[in-house]
Amino acid sequence: MTVSVVCLSCSSCDSFLDLEPTNSADAESAIVTTDDAQVAINGVMELMSSSSYYGRNFIMYGEAKGGDMTIYSSGRGLDGLYMFNHTPDNNAFSGFWSVGYNCLLQVNNLIENIDKMNSETAEEFAYYKGEALTLRALIYFDLVRLYGLPYNYSKNSYGVPDVTGTIPIDSQLGRASVADNYNRIVDDLTKGESLMSSDKSENDGYVSYYANLAIQARVALFMEDYDKALTTSETIIDSKVFKLYEPSEWCASWAQQYGSESIFEIGMDSETDLGTGSLGYYMIRYHQKTSAQGWFLASDYFLNRLGEDPGDVRWGVMDNDEYWLNTGTVRKGACYKYIGGPEMKGDGKENPTAVDIKVIRLSEIYLIAAEASLHASHPDADKAATYLNAIRRRSPNLAAATASTISDDMILSERGKEFYGEGLRFFDMIRMNKTIEFNDDLTDVPVTYRGKTIDRTFGKIVLPIPQSEINANSVIAVQQNSAYSK
Amino acid sequence: MSKLIMACVVSIITGAMLSAQNGPVRGTVLAESDGTPIVDAFVVIEGTDMGTETDREGRFSFSTLPSGAKSLKVTCVGMQAKSQPIAPSMTIYLKDEFENLDEVMVVAYGIAKKSSYAGSASIVRSDEISKLPVTSFEGALNGKVAGLQVTSTSGQAGSVSSMRIRGTGSMNASNEPLYVIDGVPVNSGNAGFSGDYIYTSNDLLSTLNPEDIESVSVLKDAAASSLYGSRAANGVIIITTKSGREGKPVVSFNASVGFTPSWATGNYETAGVQENVNMLYMIFHNYRTAGKGESDEKANAYALAQLNKKFNKHGYSFSTEGTGAYDNVIISDYDNSGRAGKYYDWDDAYYRTAVYKDLNLSVSGASPTTSYYASLGYMDSQGRLRVNDFTRASAKVNLNQKIGRFFELGTNVRMAKTDKSGYNDTRNTSANSFFQTRNLLWGLYWPTDYSTGEAWTTRYGSYAQNNKYYDNEWDNSSKTLNAAISETATIHLLEGLDLKSIFSYDNSTVKESLYYSALHYNGASTNGSITEMRTIYEKTVSSTTASYTKAFGSHNLAFLAGFEAEKNNTDYTRSEGENLPTSKLHTVSTAGLFSAAGYSWGNSMVSLLSKLDYNYAERYFASVSFRRDGSSKLSTDKRWGDFWSVAGAWRLTEENFLKETPWLSNLRLRASYGVNGTLPSDNYGYMYLMSYTNHYLGNAGGTISSLANDDLSWETNYSTNVGVDFGFFKGRLNGTVEFYNRDSKDLIQDVPVSQVTGLSSMLKNIGRINNHGFEIQLDGEIMRRNGLLWTASGNISFLKSKVKSLYNGAEIIWYDPTGGDTRAQYLYREGESTYAFYGYEWAGVDKTNGKSVYYVNDPDDSKAGDFIYKGRGATYDYDSANYKIIGNAVPFATGGFNTNLSFKGIDLALGFTYKIGGDLYDGAEKDVADDGYYWERIRSKSYYENMWTPTNTDGSQPALSGLDLTDAMEYSSRHLYNASYLRLKNLTLGYTIPGRISSKACVSRARVYFTASNLLTFSSYKEADPEVNEYGTRGWETPIGKTYVFGVELQF
Repeated sequence: MTVSVVCLSCSSCDSFLDLEPTNSADAESAIVTTDDAQVAINGVMELMSSSSYYGRNFIMYGEAKGGDMTIYSSGRGLDGLYMFNHTPDNNAFSGFWSVGYNCLLQVNNLIENIDKMNSETAEEFAYYKGEALTLRALIYFDLVRLYGLPYNYSKNSYGVPDVTGTIPIDSQLGRASVADNYNRIVDDLTKGESLMSSDKSENDGYVSYYANLAIQARVALFMEDYDKALTTSETIIDSKVFKLYEPSEWCASWAQQYGSESIFEIGMDSETDLGTGSLGYYMIRYHQKTSAQGWFLASDYFLNRLGEDPGDVRWGVMDNDEYWLNTGTVRKGACYKYIGGPEMKGDGKENPTAVDIKVIRLSEIYLIAAEASLHASHPDADKAATYLNAIRRRSPNLAAATASTISDDMILSERGKEFYGEGLRFFDMIRMNKTIEFNDDLTDVPVTYRGKTIDRTFGKIVLPIPQSEINANSVIAVQQNSAYSK
Repeated sequence: MSKLIMACVVSIITGAMLSAQNGPVRGTVLAESDGTPIVDAFVVIEGTDMGTETDREGRFSFSTLPSGAKSLKVTCVGMQAKSQPIAPSMTIYLKDEFENLDEVMVVAYGIAKKSSYAGSASIVRSDEISKLPVTSFEGALNGKVAGLQVTSTSGQAGSVSSMRIRGTGSMNASNEPLYVIDGVPVNSGNAGFSGDYIYTSNDLLSTLNPEDIESVSVLKDAAASSLYGSRAANGVIIITTKSGREGKPVVSFNASVGFTPSWATGNYETAGVQENVNMLYMIFHNYRTAGKGESDEKANAYALAQLNKKFNKHGYSFSTEGTGAYDNVIISDYDNSGRAGKYYDWDDAYYRTAVYKDLNLSVSGASPTTSYYASLGYMDSQGRLRVNDFTRASAKVNLNQKIGRFFELGTNVRMAKTDKSGYNDTRNTSANSFFQTRNLLWGLYWPTDYSTGEAWTTRYGSYAQNNKYYDNEWDNSSKTLNAAISETATIHLLEGLDLKSIFSYDNSTVKESLYYSALHYNGASTNGSITEMRTIYEKTVSSTTASYTKAFGSHNLAFLAGFEAEKNNTDYTRSEGENLPTSKLHTVSTAGLFSAAGYSWGNSMVSLLSKLDYNYAERYFASVSFRRDGSSKLSTDKRWGDFWSVAGAWRLTEENFLKETPWLSNLRLRASYGVNGTLPSDNYGYMYLMSYTNHYLGNAGGTISSLANDDLSWETNYSTNVGVDFGFFKGRLNGTVEFYNRDSKDLIQDVPVSQVTGLSSMLKNIGRINNHGFEIQLDGEIMRRNGLLWTASGNISFLKSKVKSLYNGAEIIWYDPTGGDTRAQYLYREGESTYAFYGYEWAGVDKTNGKSVYYVNDPDDSKAGDFIYKGRGATYDYDSANYKIIGNAVPFATGGFNTNLSFKGIDLALGFTYKIGGDLYDGAEKDVADDGYYWERIRSKSYYENMWTPTNTDGSQPALSGLDLTDAMEYSSRHLYNASYLRLKNLTLGYTIPGRISSKACVSRARVYFTASNLLTFSSYKEADPEVNEYGTRGWETPIGKTYVFGVELQF
């Protein structure tokens, strides 16, 4: 009664009716201070750590399809990736698309807000804009590799739609070419580099100046711009900001955050922890923990390569797998990188599964430098060998590479051993035009969507554009990847 | 107990006529229906407080009368009160409470006589609600009201039902009606957030004890409901709770106990273990022969190896005599386990005979100035699946006090505490016991390891968990405390002019907890976890109305005007603890690691309302209503909306030309038209928001969560109703025929947008849906003779629901939201049904090879396809076919019919519900009739018997294949069935002990009864229960059971 009397008598209806949420605020005025910009960056980082992206599926995508992992039994989860069982509306892994573009909306909104400021204020925000541009480049780089053919294979084919601002909600954009996407990526990275150059310190859990360079090096390698890949990676190496793990430290590095090799690491904490659905659980042995489903384990091919040196320090994160559990035959195909090593203590947080995702490590920069040295306009095999051997030390019983023995395959093999489980393998194999063989015969799992081997002529090396996008966007509806178009 | 056939007096007073003014009076009170005496009827001399009660023979007497006494008034519970002029010897016949009554109905902001009401409303009385074994009253309305469809998605005790009044008029906003209890809108729907974790629901309305309900009015058209404005588009359900009646205090005690020993129908009964082993063998065999071109021998070896790999660990091994795909697999011991020939019965382990208990006690009474009703209730209802219990303790006090001649004060207090625990009620491999027994748990699995005897704790190969073990390692509960208080002050200012003010506060506090021990798979990675949630729903409503009624000769006027303000707020907090020190304490504080969330949200509304009713000589009726609502859910420019209605009625039987028609007791025409609305579901849908719910590394994170939408507005509903009410043969046959048309415009559509924008949909007021149909309601007395009364009633509703327009005409594909398992796919397309199933058209099974055949349905060429099948282009590969509209979930007709028979204290009631036409999409069939996947799952008996094999080429189901087909998973007409059914929903048999016997035990009335629910079901769909949700789909939610209840009712 009182409520209505008050309301009608003092004509304050509108204030009675003006209600606002308590966990959201007007977006129009949300980015005013640099603290606000940081909050927006945090928002993007959290989105990137979701299970649909770096939190799990993007890493598993690069592994399940790369031949170094296999499955023990079908039907357990994410085996659609391994089997290449995708259709636009079934196993489309549409989360890559929706989360990817949602992340892009966040960075674009931040960039737009900074661009609206007067030049003086904008200067305070330079670093944040640099971060946003770097993240945008990384997200596009990921999306174009998921949905478009390799740059060095078919750069004029369809990449992904190029959006650089907040666009009207009913926009229907078509796909840009792979080359256009890479131009955008390079451009963003270059701008980001200069905006962040004033502060070259590490930025744990976020992109930094050197993370930007590291991404540039990786992108240059995919574009076969070896000179750039080499100079950029050498800038990072020579800065001495990061330091390679000694072989003795390597294994323990998986039980810590922000190790000396970490150039860009995405933080996972108890809020974003995926628990029994985490990367860690996807790779450890079947039922080592209740609910560890033994989703993925190493293929024979990987184990054989790593087995070239039984003393390789990288055996330290591997342990007996389900095959051993059932047959008693030693087979160290279970990987403990994402659960803090075989002790499964995590990386220092309360939950052992809340383990940071190491997106780029210095090891990769060394191996990029090695590969780039071989192919630069002035090839330098000695240098290549030096860079490779810095990593190859991790298998102490193998002969060091020399200028005469070093080859792309040797570097690729080292990349495989070093980055097992880190989501790089499939992209490397496709980039280097290798044939990928799958270890389906380990337990004779039935696979009908692909042959035992594939290479980059196989249509399903790219994902389908999700049906939800096709349904809502008539422009893209006619641009479906050919393996999935009716 | 409308048939509480009681008795009244027969006066057998011979004797001389005495002075009516002061001589003695004797009389008898009898029931008009069957002439039996009514015991304990209250007889008062009108105008005095002198009264007496009837005895066991229904007799009463007054030895003297005060001077001026003119008449006696007799009241009795369950009967209509009656006044009769005093005579020395009197026989007073009382009518049954609901008999031939020009029913007074509670309608929007007041009451109305049915004969003069121009809107469309139906009423359901307490006796049809309270005696059924339902946890909430919604279930009891099933089949009772034309145009009202009640569906419950789940058979879990305490879960939410869904109500649809005259179809579905919204795509994105709510389709549920507004619930009003004792004049005040209340919170309804699912309470709390456990559903986010374990997919259950907790019905807020189940805090209301059905026993406390006096009547339920269902307001269907605009004339009836537009006074509720922007919330009325889906109709209004007005619940009125009991109050005291003049007479001596009545104490009622009811107790019942029930059992649910079985499901109402078969539900995906499984093929035997042997058959399932054979099927899995076939799949592996086929994978090698068809998939890899290998020989039978190799395929046989491979298939047996796979079986052994899967089941050796459970103590079984496998062999065959031959090597063919259809060989019988011999199941024997492995490792001398001793399990050969023995299979574990998981149904037995997971199901139980559920017990239902209900106790109610109430006291009510009234004096000329005070009336009261107070009740206590306790109910305990188990689900048939273990880990589903629902209890409710409730109390209600309604008190009305007249103060002097001008004031009246009413207080309604309702308190209830419910406690629900429930199981994951959707397609969940590890935590839905029903799904597990039907699709995942082989009889070859045991809850113990054969070699060690220890509990089996790892997931089985089918992904099912051993819940015999895990049920001890987790816990969940949703405790709801509902307290609702409303105060009503009425001032009778002048004759006919009343001022009424209601203030109400409704608070539901839901306390939920979910615990997993470190041994549970959900607690393993966190070393045990506990989640505690508190959600407080508050609704404050204040309304003040003035009403004025006046008669000028034959002109009768009633006017109502008022204002109302309402505020809703929900407070939510969650705290979660992980890393628990001990399994004994399920307390967040003991945890090693915490996380928390807490925020609140809400909305408010301000309204002005008015209504004018006029009638001339109770023959011509007209009424208009107007309401203006302002809502916080819309932007400043859009937040005010006007809603109105006009209605008229003509009672033809009041006209001279029909007055003399003996067979026609009532004929009335009425019509109405009006506008009401629906608000968006989202409280802040028009705002451009940065949401701060993401955190990163312990820091706050913000993300753009929605774009500005200042244009977001009301959905408006234009509703027309034309009806005829009729009565024949002195009211022995009454009925209503109504036609209605609901045009719902400016519907809010969650229009899917290109995700390249960063978001996936936007809200637009754009769609239009039309619902129209016919409703027929008939009530008749078939026989009344020698104490036998036999009545019957029935209703039927015909509904057509079509999408009229969409944003840019663009079609929208959408999925059944129930269960979160996207079990069925629909299409909104202009001109098509609101519930149009969308998928591949399955042509059946090719007799020559057992493959599924799909019609290609190329829009340009009906012959396009890989081959021609039955004259149309067809393919084996669904991927080459096109989706089309394959069915329609809107039935042709729905309704119910009831019949009651009473004779000498025995009463028998049957209630049927039915549905004619419409399609049912079986979203669970993809699991039980999967024709090709290596998943270690079991299949249904029906699939096994009907699958194509070389020896059963007429099989209606495709052959098993090892080629990893996902055919069964596709949305296709293969899973579509006719949804028609007829169900004997309730059967009640009761016996009322004659008053002359019961009164010896000081009991004025005693009745014992037996009720059986869901006893019989007839349908063409045989796989599972045909009574499905409002979307016409069946999934893995708990089925409903057959319940048998025994009860007793006593009145003192």
